[in-house]
Amino acid sequence: MKDNNEPIIKIENIHKRFGKVHALRGVNLQVKKGEVVVIVGPSGSGKSTLLRCINRLEEYTSGKIIVDGIPLDTAQNINLVRQEIGMVFQSFNLFAHLTVLDNLMLAQKIIRKRSPEESRKIALDLLKKVGIPEKLNAYPAQISGGQQQRVAIARALAMNPRIMLFDEPTSALDPEMIKEVLDVMMELAKEGMTMVVVSHEMGFARAAAHRIIFMDEGQIVEEAPPEVLFTNPKQERTKRFLSKVLNH
Amino acid sequence: MFGRLKTEKTEPPEANIPGLQDIPEAGIGYHIDAWWWLVALVAGLIAILSITKPDPYWRIVLFVRDGIGITVLITVVSFILMLFVGMLGGLGRISKNKFIHLVTTLYVELVRGIPLLVQLIWWYFAFPVIIKQIGVWTHVGFLSNYQANAIVLAIFGFVFCYGAYMSEIFRAGIQSIPKGQMEAARSLGMSYFQSMRYVVLPQAFRVILPPVGNEFIALLKDSSLVSAVALADLTRRGREFMAANFDPLQVWTMIALLYLVMTLFSARIVNYIERRTKFER
Repeated sequence: MKDNNEPIIKIENIHKRFGKVHALRGVNLQVKKGEVVVIVGPSGSGKSTLLRCINRLEEYTSGKIIVDGIPLDTAQNINLVRQEIGMVFQSFNLFAHLTVLDNLMLAQKIIRKRSPEESRKIALDLLKKVGIPEKLNAYPAQISGGQQQRVAIARALAMNPRIMLFDEPTSALDPEMIKEVLDVMMELAKEGMTMVVVSHEMGFARAAAHRIIFMDEGQIVEEAPPEVLFTNPKQERTKRFLSKVLNH
Repeated sequence: MFGRLKTEKTEPPEANIPGLQDIPEAGIGYHIDAWWWLVALVAGLIAILSITKPDPYWRIVLFVRDGIGITVLITVVSFILMLFVGMLGGLGRISKNKFIHLVTTLYVELVRGIPLLVQLIWWYFAFPVIIKQIGVWTHVGFLSNYQANAIVLAIFGFVFCYGAYMSEIFRAGIQSIPKGQMEAARSLGMSYFQSMRYVVLPQAFRVILPPVGNEFIALLKDSSLVSAVALADLTRRGREFMAANFDPLQVWTMIALLYLVMTLFSARIVNYIERRTKFER
């Protein structure tokens, strides 16, 4: 029923107001299956808000979002939609009272109804994949930020999501830990995961993204493949932004 | 920052002995543990008095024994019930549903504004009048013949009053858990209540353990107020003994020591649980 050209995420004319602040002003965006989209822009431009609207962690004021054929605002059960959308946060948000292994197993057990053995096996495989198989009995506070973020990615992947959202996944990390997280994300992109990434990592955007979205003041200003956007931006605002972030 | 986790199942029991770990806190840990001696001291004092001067001290202990039972019964049962009330109240206080929020807030504000003693008296003397009146109006026999049961109404009064304070503790505990924990759980597809149950509340429980423990001890002491509503608790039994024997110094010293040994012991238990469940954030 869904052919490959059908977008898996369809965002139509989304508006979001926080009181008087008009955070999103009519955003339209489509993401195809297997596509990696990186959203860049100055802080306060609405990138994170837009991302959080995709799994309705943020309620939008008006407009329409359709994920995998299901319109979010009429979705009977938003939890069913969220099970298919993995999300990685800036502040990791690992469950502080659970070990790494239990972090990966909790939702598998109560949402996917997998047996302990099966969830454990999936968790161990994923920990191997993100490169920290030895930390399974550690608590989040006992491992580094980079390791926590990789566990958070593994936790999201354990649900077998069809889409992964990344909300500034490396912004809270020390410089030497950024690469280990980006490597995992790069690997995912190569495997064909549909990814929407809000990030300031222009190197990652250049290497992994199929498309870069530049947002400012709640609107999409420009979108293009990285090689086009980075070398030949059309809009004045994009040029100004890129000159600030690329020349350092 | 340095506290290591104490909840790991594989951890050997000796890992919890202060001094073996928690090096920066070792001094405090040892100090806290030393307070067990105070419990032993008070218990020893009661024993010495009872042995060296069985009349009146041992007679007092025997006389008030059943009062101790009532005091402990009321305290423990009320405490368990008020944990549930507090949890529901706390969830209600943070609810986005305006009606639930209003009802729980009203409950907390009303209860906090009335003295506990007045509340206990109201439940014992005034509440049965309402029940009987309802029974008369509705012609339901067992309501119009309702006989006040002092223990049940005392427990009701304590749960109602302390439940309000407990609600505020639960609310504060839940709100102290970073919002990201709930968001992460929701983003995995858990419902609000699943997220609360598996992610937020287990963490909140550890945060609220010290104030909840304090509430238990405060309740143990406040339970002496039931002596005003015809319940033969420890305090009332003391008064009865004094009325018969005219030795206020001995009676009330012994009653005070008995309360003290119970509260000090409870404080040690709370402290022990607290250290067992501490985890690093």
